[in-house]
Amino acid sequence: MDLLAITGLLLSIFLTLAILSFLFDDNPIYKFAEHLFMGVGIGIGTIEIYYGVFQPKLILPLLEEHRLLSIFPLLLLVLLFAKVTRKHQDWARIPIAFIVAAFAGVKLTGEANGRLLEQVRASMPDLQQLYETSGWWDWDNGGAGVISGLVLVLGLCACLLHFYFSARHNRPMRTISRIGILTLMLSFGASFGFTVMGRISLAIGRAEALLGLDQPNTLIQLGSMEVHRMTATRWMTVGTLLLIIVSIAALRRRTAPDSSTS
Amino acid sequence: MLDLLIRFQNMDRRWVFLGMALAIVLPMLVPFSLPFKVDQRVQDLYDRVEALEAGDTVYISADFDPGSRPELEPFFRTHLHHLFRQDVRVVMGTLWATAPPLVKPILEDIAQEYGKEYGKDWTFLGYVEGKELAIKSLGQSVRKTYPLDDRGNKTADLAVMAGLDAMRDFDILTSVSAGFPGTQAFVLQIQGQYNLEMASACTAVSAPDYIPYYQSGQLFGLSGGMPGSAQYEKLVYASVPPEKRPRLPATSGMNVLSIGHLYIIILLLLGNLAFFLTRGGEEN
Repeated sequence: MDLLAITGLLLSIFLTLAILSFLFDDNPIYKFAEHLFMGVGIGIGTIEIYYGVFQPKLILPLLEEHRLLSIFPLLLLVLLFAKVTRKHQDWARIPIAFIVAAFAGVKLTGEANGRLLEQVRASMPDLQQLYETSGWWDWDNGGAGVISGLVLVLGLCACLLHFYFSARHNRPMRTISRIGILTLMLSFGASFGFTVMGRISLAIGRAEALLGLDQPNTLIQLGSMEVHRMTATRWMTVGTLLLIIVSIAALRRRTAPDSSTS
Repeated sequence: MLDLLIRFQNMDRRWVFLGMALAIVLPMLVPFSLPFKVDQRVQDLYDRVEALEAGDTVYISADFDPGSRPELEPFFRTHLHHLFRQDVRVVMGTLWATAPPLVKPILEDIAQEYGKEYGKDWTFLGYVEGKELAIKSLGQSVRKTYPLDDRGNKTADLAVMAGLDAMRDFDILTSVSAGFPGTQAFVLQIQGQYNLEMASACTAVSAPDYIPYYQSGQLFGLSGGMPGSAQYEKLVYASVPPEKRPRLPATSGMNVLSIGHLYIIILLLLGNLAFFLTRGGEEN
């Protein structure tokens, strides 16, 4: 009997429906699932960090390879915990200074390299080349072309001028500013559209799992007979859904204020 | 009519959720097929991978977790099929602590399906902590960033790593990214510095942020969310007869996605209509 497979399936169905039950209302079943996810996530993360970082980079070099330089990261680690004591908390500033300095250095070079220079260059399209490759407007290539290039340049300038506060916003500036706002709204709209698409995709993933469509042709051994995983999943989904509905109703009834005492 | 619109505006939000659930579940129970076009961003990604030769090596950074599985797993699977089909060697690592239990079995299964040998044709280096610092380190030396692979072997001793150390030694870098650290951190930290040929598969939420990287040439290809994965599936399995194709989850999800979008568009239209038509009435 595929006991492990069935237990895993039942658990995934229960946890999915428990999380989705929040859409109806906040309830203890949702809270249980939420806390379980947090706990499991932190547990997996801790184990991965131990075996991925502490063991190969600190414990093995210190205890097996006897590399004394590894004492320094250990020392910085210990100093970080000085933060919890009132008397010695200043010592924690040393490792924090290392962390801040390292990240500032990494961020600065990365931003300058990858974002500033490349993106400034890309915001000045070669219109001649655009015309040769895509013409004025290429429907098959997401609207690429000279018109898109001009919209990019003009929209970018309008956005920048919208945030330029050193000049008085007279009539021409107000018009440019409005174009800037319009460009920003279009950008936010596109981001919102993509976000909605992402959320629906996640819902599709869970719905497929609840309907057993993720593994439609798999068979599960139940004693001497074989059942389709998809059929078993659907029955389990219906059963779990009913169980959660009844449990929430019972819990709400128990916690509801007694009308006779009021 | 006005009463109906006022009632629509004050409708309990739970009816909207129920409608959404039906809009997703019903198309799944009654399958149908809607056509979709392949985006230039995905086409470029596919073309570059097609141009790889047997023996070339690709580094995949699989930075996603179960939360983004429906969007990225289809691309990840298809990409591995695409690479192994062309006898390209695969070196994979991850910067997400929750990724290994998800991505490792998929890589192992697909490598086995193509008869690929661990250590010679592919390897999984496991998880490394450090986020952007780890990426910076990968740019300089993969061997130093991952001294041991996921099975405890010395990375430098693996046959698949022969002649490879810095990220620029790899023919392509693919970032399958659900957020930070992921594509953006790779682009900012090492892509420009080492002039790497890099592609990305990202969640739909991240796609608008990464499209400028594709337009500027920092990424040679980009697959955004479930539609990107579906388009990539369409290209990779175009030459495979339908009866021999595996289940294509992103392609089948596209129809449901379209109905879900249609439902939201209808709600938006009705909501705005109700707002503008009832505004005068409520003011009176």
